[in-house]
Amino acid sequence: MIINYIKIAFRSLLKNKGYSFLNIFGLSIGITCASLIFLWVEDEVSFNTSFPNQDQVYYVPTNQNYEGEWRTFYSTPGPLAKDMLNEIPGIEKATRSSSEERLFKVGDNSITKRGRYADADFLDIFSLKFIEGNRETAFTNPEAIVLTQETAEQLFGKGEKALGNIVVVSNKDNYLVTGVIENLPKNVTFPLDWVAPFERYSDGAEWMTEYGSNFSDTFVRLSPEANFETVDGKLRQFMQQKDDDNDSYAFLHSIKDWHLRSKFEGGEIVGGRITYVRLFTIIAFIILLIACINFMNLSTARSEKRANEVGVRKAMGSSRSRLITQFISESLILAFIAALVSVVFLAVLLPQFNLIIEKDLTLGLGNPIHILVLLSITTICGVFAGLYPAFYLSSFKPVEVLKGLKVSQKSANVIRKGLVVGQFTISIVFIIFTILVYQQIQHAKNRELGYDKEQLLSMRIDREFIPKFDVIQKELIRTGSVKNATLCNSELTSGGNNGSGFTWKGGTDTEDVLISFRNVTESFFETTGMVIIEGRGFNKNHEIDSTSVLISESLAKLMGDENPIGNIIGRGDDRLEIVGVVKDYIYGDMFSTSDPVLFMNYPPYARYMFIKTKDGVPMDRALSDIETVLKTHNPAYPFEYTFVDDTFNAKFKNEQLVGELSQIFAILAILISCLGLFGLAAYTAEQRSKEIGVRKVLGASISGIVKLLSKDFLKLVGISIIISVPIAWYATYSWLQDYAYRIEINWLVFVIAGILAVVIALATVSFQAVKAAIANPVNSLKTE
Amino acid sequence: MNTKLLSLNEATRTVNSGSNKVTLLDKINLQVNEGEFISLMGPSGSGKSTLLNCIGMLDEFTGGGYTFLGEPVHSMKEKNRSKLYKEYIGFVFQAYHLIDELNVWENIETPLLYKNIKSSERKALVADMLDRFNIVGKKDLFPQQLSGGQQQLVGIARALIGKPKLILADEPTGNLNSTQSTEIMELFSQLNKEGVTIIQATHSEQNAVYGSRIINLLDGKIVEE
Repeated sequence: MIINYIKIAFRSLLKNKGYSFLNIFGLSIGITCASLIFLWVEDEVSFNTSFPNQDQVYYVPTNQNYEGEWRTFYSTPGPLAKDMLNEIPGIEKATRSSSEERLFKVGDNSITKRGRYADADFLDIFSLKFIEGNRETAFTNPEAIVLTQETAEQLFGKGEKALGNIVVVSNKDNYLVTGVIENLPKNVTFPLDWVAPFERYSDGAEWMTEYGSNFSDTFVRLSPEANFETVDGKLRQFMQQKDDDNDSYAFLHSIKDWHLRSKFEGGEIVGGRITYVRLFTIIAFIILLIACINFMNLSTARSEKRANEVGVRKAMGSSRSRLITQFISESLILAFIAALVSVVFLAVLLPQFNLIIEKDLTLGLGNPIHILVLLSITTICGVFAGLYPAFYLSSFKPVEVLKGLKVSQKSANVIRKGLVVGQFTISIVFIIFTILVYQQIQHAKNRELGYDKEQLLSMRIDREFIPKFDVIQKELIRTGSVKNATLCNSELTSGGNNGSGFTWKGGTDTEDVLISFRNVTESFFETTGMVIIEGRGFNKNHEIDSTSVLISESLAKLMGDENPIGNIIGRGDDRLEIVGVVKDYIYGDMFSTSDPVLFMNYPPYARYMFIKTKDGVPMDRALSDIETVLKTHNPAYPFEYTFVDDTFNAKFKNEQLVGELSQIFAILAILISCLGLFGLAAYTAEQRSKEIGVRKVLGASISGIVKLLSKDFLKLVGISIIISVPIAWYATYSWLQDYAYRIEINWLVFVIAGILAVVIALATVSFQAVKAAIANPVNSLKTE
Repeated sequence: MNTKLLSLNEATRTVNSGSNKVTLLDKINLQVNEGEFISLMGPSGSGKSTLLNCIGMLDEFTGGGYTFLGEPVHSMKEKNRSKLYKEYIGFVFQAYHLIDELNVWENIETPLLYKNIKSSERKALVADMLDRFNIVGKKDLFPQQLSGGQQQLVGIARALIGKPKLILADEPTGNLNSTQSTEIMELFSQLNKEGVTIIQATHSEQNAVYGSRIINLLDGKIVEE
């Protein structure tokens, strides 16, 4: 029986090539699209799962209250880790940690690598796997460093022994390699290339042993018996017990949530990437749904062709259930062919997709889970798409169809129209969403930044560099390629150091305001293009200007009517005099308002150098000039730099991803929908060929007939537009709520999307309509 | 030869056309014995096809009684009815109604599939049938590749493959030329001699005389036997 079904399915596929193509192509696009999304989702949910003890490893963030609002930070006081370990039962391991970038040198090999300073417990918490050396003794030597295999190979050469050798860090400190660990997989939240004892970083600094300042990451591992609620509850009280002045508290953030649920608002997890994982999973199913709808539509549309077969089979003794089985097997066969086609599509498209999402996904056909998922998608599609046509077709009464009576298609027509409306509604929602995401990204990118990010280079520097800066700056300017250079303690686009507890005249609750610090040189404002709107800039000699500060406009506003110039900002025993006000600039979250900033003329804390090249100087010339200067004055360091505008663009990665993916999905949804519409239009034209013939004989014009045939479809698209507008509005509205700096939704977008849908639908339908309209009526009338 | 195959007692078929109730078959009384060859005659719309369909259980009488092989069809459940006609009735259609996607062999085989007959047995039965109808050479051809007469031959072969007691033929030669018609009617006659009961609906006097009994229908009533 099954063989009979398969046979008839294949013959009918071959017989109706156009129809089969539309169906298989549409379905395979759907399956391809869904598979890509599922591969992405699989990667997203796999983050950090390579670490064992998933239920016991936690990050310890702190909630801090500023101006009545709880804000979550990953930095904790230095002594927290040790005190937790000693005083809170259930905590088995705890470590301080700080992620740093360092220059490593072995012989002539020098590379910059990001890694972590941490306590020995770090190695246990993350169960780092040692290839050379061992976990127990790796950190007994205070000058130890543990390298990943990749880093070790890059420094010492492949196959060379790294263990027991010396690495020079930052051109001055010797580190002894006491271990080589396996490389961490790509899908971890905190990648690292090396680990070294924390003492080497804290270097006995006293402030690192107090509860007053937050600077270090804290990771813990609970004992297997420990109860999360109990430990977390104790931890939330802990910091206040240690430090009366402190109203912030620490809590546990599970390793399972690091990647997907790490967005905090008001001190609570409110989501994170999980939103996108869910969104795209839903989109995957929606695309599959659209593809299945095509199948249903095309199957029922050509039901007249199948009606006779149904009648004969029933007369031959077939039961309805057998016919249903037959039709579902047919759609399953089709789905499986589509799945095979989509495997080919996937193989071709995956590299492109990887470029967009910046991942390294593989098809992994050897992975039974992948095969299982693909088979499940295919089966579900096949059954789902085949179900309605099967029930519909098998319901025909043999007496009626065999007599050649027209099968009443009323119910099928209504459902078919509904399905088309469904497809187009989804497509239009995608179009609108895509446009608005694009607008939102552009909106934020074109935002008044407060500085000029073009032709601005950023370089990481070490302490040793700072005394040489003045000379280097002069040399750079002398090349003629560089406008100016400056030092700063943080990247322009990111947050950096901050603190609260300041007092000044005017305003209320000044101690509650969280302020970011920028330690810069006098040339900072000219180099970055930040504008001093009041007062003066810094003095070139920072030593005589050490108590002068510039503040950002938003900080000046907090002083109320008080004149900011000359106002004294105090914290503890420090008294800082405001000498100037700088226009606000955007850093950190590009979509929200940045915290107020305090600029200090104190280059010794600098970590970055910014270089502005001169207008009109070709970038490659400027770069080679800069390289020459740096090689002369700072020969030990490799010439590594980033462009600030690249860093800036990278800040939009998430939004860009959403934008690009939703664009792809919009195109695919439209494409699949149009395939269906195309097929449907063909069948309608065929069904109405006699009517068209009669009309033409009676004198109807071609354009009149095209209009007649297209009208019905356009009506459906019109209904789709009406339904999709509120849905799209709601979807984009909710999405935009995540961004403080956002666009107003413009009704023009809906108009454009609507027109686009109409044009696309018209183009699809009119091809068939014109074809039907120019056909010779003699042919269609003769056949009856 | 006088076993009763089926009997109709005041069998009536009405349909609702809009708000009107239209009577297609009006209180038909008919007894058919095994081995009979009945020709139903009458003008278009007289109810020939409806009567055939109702007897063949593709359609239902809306009133009166219908007994087939002693079993009351009118009070039977759909499932049992379908079992009954699958077992005992074969259909031959004016438009042949072969399945386009299946070749000759497969078309003939189809009823056996629905009777859950084993593959080896099916092969033997189909081969016999092809042999008997002299169409072995055409077994791999598809319906479109055959002439009308050949298609109807396959249609009859398909109707016979399940060894039915009764063959219902609705204008079996309606689409055929006269030579082909004669061939088909000769075949029916032959089958009847072999013991198959046949009821055919026809317009043609010439074909009707092949029957052992002619029943004339007019406006859903038997007017003459």
